[in-house]
Amino acid sequence: VKFYRVKVEERTQLGSYILLHYRWDGTPIQPGQFAMVRAAGYPATLDPFLARPFSFYDYDGEVASLLFEVRGRGTALLDLTPTMEVTVPLGKGFGIEPGLGRAALLGGGIGVAPLKILGRRLDALGVPHDVFLGFADAGSSVVAREFPDAEVATMDGSVGSHGTVLDAAGSLEGYGAIYSCGPNPMLAAVKLAAAENTFCQLSVEERMGCGNGSCNWCVVPVRGGNYVRSCIEGPVFDAEVLAW
Amino acid sequence: VVARDEMSTVDLAVELCGIPLRTPLMPASGTLSKEALGEVEGVYGAMLPKTTTPVARTGNPPPRVAETPAGMVNSIGLQNPGVEQFLRSLDSFDLGIPIFVSVAGDTTVEFASLCERLSGDDRISAVELNLSCPNVECGGLAFCAGPSSVEEVVAICRDAVGAKPILAKLTNEGVVENARAAEAAGADGLTVMNTIPALTIDAKARKVLVRGGLSGPAIKPVALRAVYDVSGVVNVPVVGSGGVASGTDVAEFMLAGATAVQVGTTSFVRDPQEILDEFTFYLEQNGLRAAELTGTLRGPVPTVTNGLDRNSLRPKRR
Repeated sequence: VKFYRVKVEERTQLGSYILLHYRWDGTPIQPGQFAMVRAAGYPATLDPFLARPFSFYDYDGEVASLLFEVRGRGTALLDLTPTMEVTVPLGKGFGIEPGLGRAALLGGGIGVAPLKILGRRLDALGVPHDVFLGFADAGSSVVAREFPDAEVATMDGSVGSHGTVLDAAGSLEGYGAIYSCGPNPMLAAVKLAAAENTFCQLSVEERMGCGNGSCNWCVVPVRGGNYVRSCIEGPVFDAEVLAW
Repeated sequence: VVARDEMSTVDLAVELCGIPLRTPLMPASGTLSKEALGEVEGVYGAMLPKTTTPVARTGNPPPRVAETPAGMVNSIGLQNPGVEQFLRSLDSFDLGIPIFVSVAGDTTVEFASLCERLSGDDRISAVELNLSCPNVECGGLAFCAGPSSVEEVVAICRDAVGAKPILAKLTNEGVVENARAAEAAGADGLTVMNTIPALTIDAKARKVLVRGGLSGPAIKPVALRAVYDVSGVVNVPVVGSGGVASGTDVAEFMLAGATAVQVGTTSFVRDPQEILDEFTFYLEQNGLRAAELTGTLRGPVPTVTNGLDRNSLRPKRR
């Protein structure tokens, strides 16, 4: 896997999340795509050995940004680094269908990341949409300020309504399209809450080793009893394809 | 960094089991997807897709991988579409270089039937017998763990595969004995080594995370010793595999006795072209051709490894 060295142009602390900006003039980034990312080290760091997959948070044609939370050594180093190494945009992003009417965007925790760039695209296409965000607590919910019109829920009730992102959203009936990213149980709940035959796309958050389909780590179960790689066949899947 | 055109004079070609390779590098089986082929064009001397089995395998349920310092532990479980589907899609692995096919079965008969199935396919230059995947429990753990079963499988595959060379891919444990057995049974070459059985634990959850095989730079010294020990006692060529992460690593494996070298886990975190560029630079700096590097360590050889005195070994033909 080829990595490109980029400078961290701006770092923003958003509660317990961090937003890093870097200039990107390579392959244009599509909403829902991701990059493998690591703090720069030559030729590759040995601990952590693998890069981390992050969905793009935003991209304006010049500057790309990534939203993450420090969870271990890899992300701790990323938080401190002045330079990082990134791959080209990878994976299948959201398959945007503009003619389906109003869209609901549901994000859980760090899974709110791709909803920013998706909202930007939907705005450009003139697709009306509502954003619903769920977080564990007040600290993780700070990023919600970047989504001015979003309805917010927290599991501890400290910000917004008390409960999950689905409690913030109420009924999903009436939406022509549903886009969601978050932990698997949340995505399964969104799938269940979506009316049958509604266009529903889910972006999974699997750990990945390579990002180019080689390591077979990031598999998700699909209908028919097989596993498919979320880095190649996803990370965004049609809800009906996933076997959960 | 050396510009590509400055290195064009360096001769990277080697010959493995009579097959000319434009570089001594090839992917380790199971570490290069069809989708990533575009990234390695020009790097490898042979193509080696993920292990194929008689029928499709869905692979092991997640979690399949755990990261470790300088490596990872995987337990994929040989997920693959089965040999027939594999052969239907084999053309997509055609980069104009020889294709080696890695096979695995649960039984000797399965290995033999795979070899027979591949024997008449002109697209395939050689077959690698995956005798050592730690993630598939086949016919009991003892299968292919010792010299007698290695000899049995290699012998039956040697007959079944026709004229194609076969490489036996061996695990580290008992590698010298198994290498001798494989050679005696007619293996044309040996791939040394596979991942090392390993375990990771999530202390917080008090659960086993992944029980599988360790790969990556962490295992390089183990693989180097295995290659060194094996190449001292067999006359067939050895393909080095295990933790190769740089051009210097490639040189080290060849010095230890390898004729060709596989790049696996590190291709997840590095562009393999960089590894080839570094290796080319090494050859250039030392005024060497790749083909003359194998087994050219200088100075006295440390004696007695696994009870073998390397200084008393018969001269080797390559």
